Amino acid sequence: MNRLGLIVEREFLERVRKKSFILVTILIPILIAFSLIGPTFFMNAVDSKAKTERIVVIDNTPGRIIGTRLPSDSRVEFQLLPENTTLEEARQRYGYEVYCFGILVIGEDIIDNPGNLTLINNGASSLSVEDAIRERIQGIIRTERLNRYDVENINSILADANVHAGIQTLKNEQNQEMKSSSTGGSVALGFIIAFFIYMIIIIYGQMVLQSVIDEKQTRVLDVLITSCKPFELMMGKVLGIAMVAMLQILIWGGIIMLLVAFALPAIAASSGNAEILLGSIADVHYIGTLVITTILYIIGGFLFYASMYAAIGSAVDTPQDAAQFNSVIMLPIIIAIYVLMAVIKNPGSDIAFWFSMIPFTSPMVMMARIPAGIPTWEIVVSLAVLYVSFIILIWLAARIFRIGVFMHGKKPTWKDLGQWIKMK
Amino acid sequence: MDPILRIENVTKTYVGHRALDDVSVEIPRGSIYGLLGPNGAGKTTLIRVVNHMTMPDRGKVWFEDHEITDKDIFNTGYMPEERGLYKKMKVGEQALFFARMHGLSRTEAARRLKDWFSRLGISEWWDKKVEDLSKGMAQKVQFIITVVHEPKLLIFDEPFSGFDPINQNMLKEEILGLRDRGATVIFSTHNMESVEEICDDITLINKSQNILSGHVDEIRRKAGGNTFLVVYNGSQEDFSASLQGKAFPLGTPDSILGGFTQQRIHIPDDSDIRPVIGMLNEKVALRSFQEIIPSMNDIFIRAVNGTL
Repeated sequence: MNRLGLIVEREFLERVRKKSFILVTILIPILIAFSLIGPTFFMNAVDSKAKTERIVVIDNTPGRIIGTRLPSDSRVEFQLLPENTTLEEARQRYGYEVYCFGILVIGEDIIDNPGNLTLINNGASSLSVEDAIRERIQGIIRTERLNRYDVENINSILADANVHAGIQTLKNEQNQEMKSSSTGGSVALGFIIAFFIYMIIIIYGQMVLQSVIDEKQTRVLDVLITSCKPFELMMGKVLGIAMVAMLQILIWGGIIMLLVAFALPAIAASSGNAEILLGSIADVHYIGTLVITTILYIIGGFLFYASMYAAIGSAVDTPQDAAQFNSVIMLPIIIAIYVLMAVIKNPGSDIAFWFSMIPFTSPMVMMARIPAGIPTWEIVVSLAVLYVSFIILIWLAARIFRIGVFMHGKKPTWKDLGQWIKMK
Repeated sequence: MDPILRIENVTKTYVGHRALDDVSVEIPRGSIYGLLGPNGAGKTTLIRVVNHMTMPDRGKVWFEDHEITDKDIFNTGYMPEERGLYKKMKVGEQALFFARMHGLSRTEAARRLKDWFSRLGISEWWDKKVEDLSKGMAQKVQFIITVVHEPKLLIFDEPFSGFDPINQNMLKEEILGLRDRGATVIFSTHNMESVEEICDDITLINKSQNILSGHVDEIRRKAGGNTFLVVYNGSQEDFSASLQGKAFPLGTPDSILGGFTQQRIHIPDDSDIRPVIGMLNEKVALRSFQEIIPSMNDIFIRAVNGTL
């Protein structure tokens, strides 16, 4: 195996064999899945396991029109007290009953004053019980009020007037049938991918930085550099770590596929949100384009930033010294995230276009635009700019690297880095 | 003998500091070459210039018959002063990695490494992590990594630092062995004893300049300045009279234990010592007659102080 291959292999194996790698690779998808599914799951679990709560009702309305019509079900069971029962009596009778949730007092004028409703709890209150009570009482009041108008067939009129508008978005493409697209779904998808690329660049870029600094500190670089070219060393590191990232992404991809195939339908059945998301993902016709461009932008974006991180790592002695350079590298990445917000609102805007061409921000910004559907030439130009910039950058980085790795002690300035690039 | 390495008028200036000032050194093939000098004299910089770790402002480095290339350097073995090993990596795996970086196949590297490990008594450390090793142990690993690909040229920066006397001896033996198998060894050191024992040639660098170069025996003899120590029994007047202008007493005579007197004398370079001994032998009872050869330590200190 040649030297570059050996370095790549070493970098790759060192990281992949770590327990932390295995842990993170498996834990992260589970964590993501959990944070998506968890809330819905627990809500359902809480509600389905809840016992029936018994509530005694004092209805002060004339003819007890509310209390007599309150429907009991498996969640709440209402027990209407006899007319003219006072609150005092009710409290003495039911206030300390364990099986009684509380006393509901319905005000005399509740039809005109819906706020005149009191619940006296025996124990801790519960949002879901309160919701259930409110819902039922609102229903009765609404019917009562409507009945006052004395309109014929009021219920069927209401049913007819209750409208939900839905937009079916179609994409206009030349020489092709119009494709339907889902704006909500693509916005979400674009944002998720862009954010994912952002995370990959930051996490793995920092890994390159740390790795170079470590080797410089332990002087391993001094030994290595007499057995290979600085460029081989730098490329080996960048590529080795890139392979770690790819492996991790592949595993994540696999786990997510499994989740989508087996778990998501089950969740979708119980949660409306997941259904919408699932539907919109299936809606994206250009899923192939999306996967390919995502991979190309992850690789390009990582290589672009990793070469900068490698150059910085070679120039400094400690992570603290790297901080000043690091913040400058982070700046465009953070700007990209801000621009992302604007892009999601309007993927066709000028800002969106230009930031998806500039290599510093294009991996994030372009990925947010692609699901919304943009001309292919834009993607091609943006990728070309990114990869050409990477080649220029890695060349510059290598020039800094070959000098930087042997510089110890003094913290370099931007001017120093510039001089190292020019040095023969 | 033809030099394997020739350093020609090398000058290297860092910001506000001249690290090497017109230094020239020739390293004979198959020799053990010592680079001596006080801290900060420029030894490490010189090694770095040879290794292409830094480029000289002026001057050239020749390897055999051509200017030294990266490829030549990749075929040398270099052990830096501050040892460099991956702390979290297992010793054996690490040694294999470095050996393969120097072009050995995996099987060949494994075979040679197992050999070296058992020779230096660290076989049982093969699967340990470097961070679990003692300093001396790590040094041994570093040494093996440096020599395993059997390079023609070996460069050690302070190889003896961090070793106990037993391991220092072992290292000396190994270095001598490498030379006997045809390698040329350059090492920088403050350890003058090791220089006397194993160096064939030296260069002494002080304040960025080469102030002394040559064969160790010649340098020592020359520094001795044809001085001899004579121990005898007899009168000091008889002793002085018998020199007859062929030799000259240095300093004052000392009376030592057993009623003997000891006296240093200087014999001019071109004189034969036998007549001097003959004349002395007639007048006084000679006990011993011995050339004074200064230690490398003396020479080092005198050279640095400018009194050589």
